[in-house]
Amino acid sequence: MLKGHLDMIVLAALATGPAHGYAVIQEIHRRSGGAFELPEGTIYPALHRLEQMGLLDSRWTTAESGRRRRVYALTKRGTRALTDHRAVWQRFSDAIGGLIGQTSHATVQHIR
Amino acid sequence: MPQSSIFDDYLDRLTRELSFDVALSRRVRQEVEDHLLEAVAAEPGDALIEAQYRAIRNFGDPRDIASQYAALSLLKQARRVGTVVVLVIAGIFIAMKGRGAWYDVMQWGLSPDLRDIVKIGLLIDRYAFMVTLAIGVVGWAYIGSRPVSATCHAAYRDQLKRCLLLCIAAAVPLIASVVTDVILTGLRVFEARLPPSALVPLLSMAAEIALAGVHCCRRPARKLGAEAALPASIASSANRIRGSRQIQHFSRLSRTTSPDYPARCPLSGSPEKRFRAIQQARP
Repeated sequence: MLKGHLDMIVLAALATGPAHGYAVIQEIHRRSGGAFELPEGTIYPALHRLEQMGLLDSRWTTAESGRRRRVYALTKRGTRALTDHRAVWQRFSDAIGGLIGQTSHATVQHIR
Repeated sequence: MPQSSIFDDYLDRLTRELSFDVALSRRVRQEVEDHLLEAVAAEPGDALIEAQYRAIRNFGDPRDIASQYAALSLLKQARRVGTVVVLVIAGIFIAMKGRGAWYDVMQWGLSPDLRDIVKIGLLIDRYAFMVTLAIGVVGWAYIGSRPVSATCHAAYRDQLKRCLLLCIAAAVPLIASVVTDVILTGLRVFEARLPPSALVPLLSMAAEIALAGVHCCRRPARKLGAEAALPASIASSANRIRGSRQIQHFSRLSRTTSPDYPARCPLSGSPEKRFRAIQQARP
């Protein structure tokens, strides 16, 4: 399930502002409460792919340590894509929530 | 093991796995190195070596990571090939038009004996070029409109195959057009008894041939072609196009990591046997 939503997760992690790969992973970890145990290396191909799709922009910066660092930021298209993803996810979540709630209710009724 | 060599070994392996795209491998190496150092810096305690191994473990297997970049890199190269095709066609068009204008300026006429041949040649040249232009533009638009995929799945490979076929389809009439141009220019130069001004059409002709050569022989096109043929000829393509490390890499990556590629495909035996087995194993 996570694999299909990785792009949305990465875009959401960058919604707060530009960040480098490691910071994106930390943000995902923090905001999900550590729920997703994905190999950290999978984030980078996703970042490159989203950049290729025009949803992210990236540039080299120099960190405080003096190391070169690639920082990613949402583009306007990326922001729009995230809004669309959120709307779709909300509808999906509401539908599943309603369905599971209804099923549980019917099951309870049947048992009684 | 010294601390730095732990990361160096890992980064070297990752770079080797990504050697199908040198620019990408350089960029990824820098990014991953920064990531690993950051991960170690964030670890509390003094156990640096353990922290380094943990950072590598958390990052994942270099081959898996490289396989995720393969689909992206292929599309990038396909788009680059598409752009080159369009630029080559534009270059040939300019060379053709420039030569025509030069003939008018120099008032190079043709003997009545050759006029009919030249007329037919010009017709072939014009229509062959128009077909090349049409296919080239269609191919460019097709390559440009393909969405970026996360994996090299079967449908994605089919799209890349189509890109390659369009490139080949554009090359055939282009070659016909250039060959006709060579003959026509040769006739005109022969008629003009090679004055110094003949250098201009000859040079423009040489440019056309060079551009057509770029279109037909450019390395990424060959690489793309071999990759597009995956997985049907996955084992044989790497052997057929010798010296192309990229193909061997793509083949190896697809063979080991592509979910679409059946694990039980035999990699030995005759090409026909392998092809049949792959076809049978396909879902």
